[in-house]
Amino acid sequence: MASRLPTALPRRPTTSTLSTFNTLAPQTTSSSIIPTLQQTQTRNATLIKRPKRPYTFTQVIQLSDGSTFTMRTCSPHSLYKSTKDTRNHVMWNPSEKSLKNIEVDEAGKLAAFRERYGRGWDAQAPEVQDGGEGAQAAAAGGAAGGKKDGKKDDKAAADASFENKFDSSYDPLGDLISQYAVGVPEDKGAKVAKPKKK
Amino acid sequence: MASSARSSGAAAALLRRRPNVCASCRTTQFLRPYSVAAEAQATAEAHHLKPTQSEPHVPFTVSRKAEYRIRSSIILSRAPLLTRPLTPFENAFFFYQKRLNERLTTEFRHSMFFKKDTAADLDWRIKLEERGGLVAKELGRYYAKGRNAWNDELLVGSTLSDENRIRETLLKDAEMRVTEDGEKAKPDEIVPVEKPQPRITESDKKNDVRKLDRKLDQTLYLVVQKASGEWQFPTDDMSTGENLHQSAQRVLDAAAGPNMNTWIVGRVPVAHHVVQPKFKEDTSLAAKGEKTFFLKGRIMAGQADVKENTLGYRDFKWLTKDELKELLPDPYFKSVRNMMADR
Repeated sequence: MASRLPTALPRRPTTSTLSTFNTLAPQTTSSSIIPTLQQTQTRNATLIKRPKRPYTFTQVIQLSDGSTFTMRTCSPHSLYKSTKDTRNHVMWNPSEKSLKNIEVDEAGKLAAFRERYGRGWDAQAPEVQDGGEGAQAAAAGGAAGGKKDGKKDDKAAADASFENKFDSSYDPLGDLISQYAVGVPEDKGAKVAKPKKK
Repeated sequence: MASSARSSGAAAALLRRRPNVCASCRTTQFLRPYSVAAEAQATAEAHHLKPTQSEPHVPFTVSRKAEYRIRSSIILSRAPLLTRPLTPFENAFFFYQKRLNERLTTEFRHSMFFKKDTAADLDWRIKLEERGGLVAKELGRYYAKGRNAWNDELLVGSTLSDENRIRETLLKDAEMRVTEDGEKAKPDEIVPVEKPQPRITESDKKNDVRKLDRKLDQTLYLVVQKASGEWQFPTDDMSTGENLHQSAQRVLDAAAGPNMNTWIVGRVPVAHHVVQPKFKEDTSLAAKGEKTFFLKGRIMAGQADVKENTLGYRDFKWLTKDELKELLPDPYFKSVRNMMADR
């Protein structure tokens, strides 16, 4: 539709008109070339189609904290309520306690899993729980002393216990790998032996 | 280079009017129209000279280092939480653009969005009928494909383009008009959509300058009151063992307490303020000058608390730029105003 030329526009000059002009041209030698250049005009712009755009509505967006803004969208719904966005995501709200993922283990399933497979699957470095005598003593000292100092001691004790366990550099998958490494040589021997038999 | 050439040219132009000045003076020297004494006073003021000095020292900063104290200060700000309200012109412009868009876009195909004979489809049809067959919700009775499509401009004083009206129209449209049984809801069965909170909060109404939920579309800055009653940004002398940003963090903790989640934006000062030293007649020091360097900080969460501060502050306020202009001493405000955003 848009690509069609409007009827009011003058048509492109045909070769016949040009030839007639050229036959007339020799009469005025000075302006013989320039008029031909002006005659051959193009209308490429009218051939460009207007891009088809979908119909857009105005929509109110309500973020999870209740703040709103309007924007243009194809959706015919006039209100969009977001459930998860920057306002209630822990990455953008590092100080918000309620958003943090706190482990609930009432049935003891996670503890059972850890007993069997170790702590290597934990998302983050575990808090000190089996720190032994040192950690307990530190905790007791912390309870006796100021709150802040106690925290510090506790942390120090936790660090110490980690150092004992994992030799200074703590690798979350370390214990799992070490268990595999123990089992591997026996398997290898068996597998190597099998082809010999056959 | 260029400026000196220009000024000598201007001087020459001045001198050309006086025929009794010699030729060398005409080209090399510029005779000032005011007296020598006034000139000396002006130089003394410009270079902050001591009473008996006539011209500035050559190694200017080295010799006068001991006359100043270096202080570190922090400008803690809360970023605006809301965008600013639009002006009536902006509203009218956007409204016009929307009507223009109506004429240029393809038509809305509701079969693409609503399955036939569903609740959503019925809901759409009810609302469409109420709008008189118009697909657009907030553009008034404007038929973009009709005979009067050219008549898309609003008349002066029309409230159709008002921001609040548009928001209310859209929220009204968001109400579900179909019951769970799939029938048209009666007026008393329609559940209204919860209105968003207003831009003006309780603290705005009370003008509670200690609250952080005031003036949500502007930046707020923390200022504290000294024991003498004067207001300023939290400031303290620097010790030799710390850097500027470290001392700014220390000042913040000492002045406003640890109950804040803050971020010091950079290690480079964003502003500085100089108070010149005062001298007695015998050029001995009457009062030391001060050079204060301001660092920029942002508050993310928490609140300031001056109850247990060690810098002797009595009170604090969270104020906008305009309010600071009223409160702070003029030279002090002029030193820091350029680091503040307009809004």
